[in-house]
Amino acid sequence: MDFIGHGNTVIQERKMNSSEARQLVEKTKQIPISSRVARECIDLAYGFFTPLIGFMNSATLNSVCQEMKLIDGTLWPIPILMDIDKSTIDKNNLKVGEKVILSYEGVPLALMDIEEIYQYEKQKIAQAVLGTTEKKHPGVMMIDQWMDYFIAGPIQLMNEPHFQPPFDRFWFTPLQLHKIFKEKNWKRIVAHQTRNVPHTGHEWLMKGAWFSANGDLSVEKLKTGILVSCIIGPKRIGDYIDEAILLTQQELNDSAYFNPDIHMVSFVLWDMRYAGPKEAILHAIIRSNLGCTHHMFGRDHAGVGSYYDPYDAHRIFDEIPEGSLSIKAIRLLEWFYCPICQEVTYSGLCGHTKERQNFSGTMIRSIIQDKVQPTRLLMRPEVFQTMMQSAEQYGFGSPFCNEKYLKERRPIFILSPVSK
Amino acid sequence: MNKIPINIWINESRYQQLCQSGLEGMTKEVLAGMKVLQIFCTEEQKDLLLKRYPQAKYDQSTTKSIELLPAEFKENLFNRIVEKKSLDVITELL
Ligand SMILES: [Zn+2]
Repeated sequence: MDFIGHGNTVIQERKMNSSEARQLVEKTKQIPISSRVARECIDLAYGFFTPLIGFMNSATLNSVCQEMKLIDGTLWPIPILMDIDKSTIDKNNLKVGEKVILSYEGVPLALMDIEEIYQYEKQKIAQAVLGTTEKKHPGVMMIDQWMDYFIAGPIQLMNEPHFQPPFDRFWFTPLQLHKIFKEKNWKRIVAHQTRNVPHTGHEWLMKGAWFSANGDLSVEKLKTGILVSCIIGPKRIGDYIDEAILLTQQELNDSAYFNPDIHMVSFVLWDMRYAGPKEAILHAIIRSNLGCTHHMFGRDHAGVGSYYDPYDAHRIFDEIPEGSLSIKAIRLLEWFYCPICQEVTYSGLCGHTKERQNFSGTMIRSIIQDKVQPTRLLMRPEVFQTMMQSAEQYGFGSPFCNEKYLKERRPIFILSPVSK
Repeated sequence: MNKIPINIWINESRYQQLCQSGLEGMTKEVLAGMKVLQIFCTEEQKDLLLKRYPQAKYDQSTTKSIELLPAEFKENLFNRIVEKKSLDVITELL
């Protein structure tokens, strides 16, 4: 059965069998790729970026920057590009029309049919996508560090990644998710994007979105599910470690704070651009490819600093042409604790504006840093325990990334050698 | 004068312990039942602490408190407070 993704396109996996891959290795040039490009090859190959089948050429890049569309008119907000340096092009004598193996950490990952090798002003990309060229914006910094040329063309996976524990149990491809949702008989699926260990504010964000998505559906037999879709990509010091994020999100399910029938945890490989509203659109596209029908957007989604208004990522959904997305945005205000209501409540509902206690990230971080178990109204005790266990098991004693974790953490996935 | 705070986080079980020491009135509720107990240091005590624990910081701009002290030191501080039934414990831990 076909599953339909973004742009009304059938989701197709692009991968070859191992004997084909072995034959290619013998006669094909190989070039190294960065970890971001490796992650995006995997995304492209499994259909996370449907309808894209490879890295963008200059015409598509232009169209995405100027009109937020692919050449055929499909909505697309952020360029997907493979950067390359001049010496790699020259040394390998890379030419349009030939095939090249993209190898990650010395192992073949994907094959590219080279369609174009080109240059493009990086500042123009940053201005169009991020709305700024200021170097302190992390998305600008990323683009700035790219090499000077781009290489474009469709890719095909030669070597499937083996996700390592605990990532393996949360890795689901778009086709797998579509099948799972069908088996579960979920008719509406609301995506929650996160890079956090959940406190009760996050929990209520998901619960509120579930009510919104379920809306007019029958409540006798529940057909609405929540897909927690964690973003796994490069980390910075002080971020929660990936393992703690996945395992604590799952803990809400294991400890039945979410009925297991309506909740599951997964992840997407993605390097955040912090592009605010445009990134919100991309997140919606990716989740529509996963089979989600709704996507929650809270305050300052994918934002950074004060580059975007906290609700820019809501408003952009008013500006895109109707029908250009197959997923609905659920717009959410903030959840906080109200000592008068004595519960976690919602800024659109509770009128005790003076008394409200916001979930301050800094404060929660400080409590965790001191290894003091938060009150159960702030963080579920099982979530705290799982977080601290993850810290011991994966984080060198800390649930937050430190230098040792960044250097010595276990790999998320490994590739088997492709031998002749 | 003692004026620079160290924030000690008070959850349900710590609050019970404080009740037994008659110090529960010294806490302030901050978030979802989580309370804070502030222990005040002098300038000299602050400098001594920052010297002894190089990862610690005096947050001058936002909280105006001593942050990032080792969890073990702060736990020790809390335990001494409960034992002594008094907030005047910083001198003996330095
Ligand atoms: Zn209220």
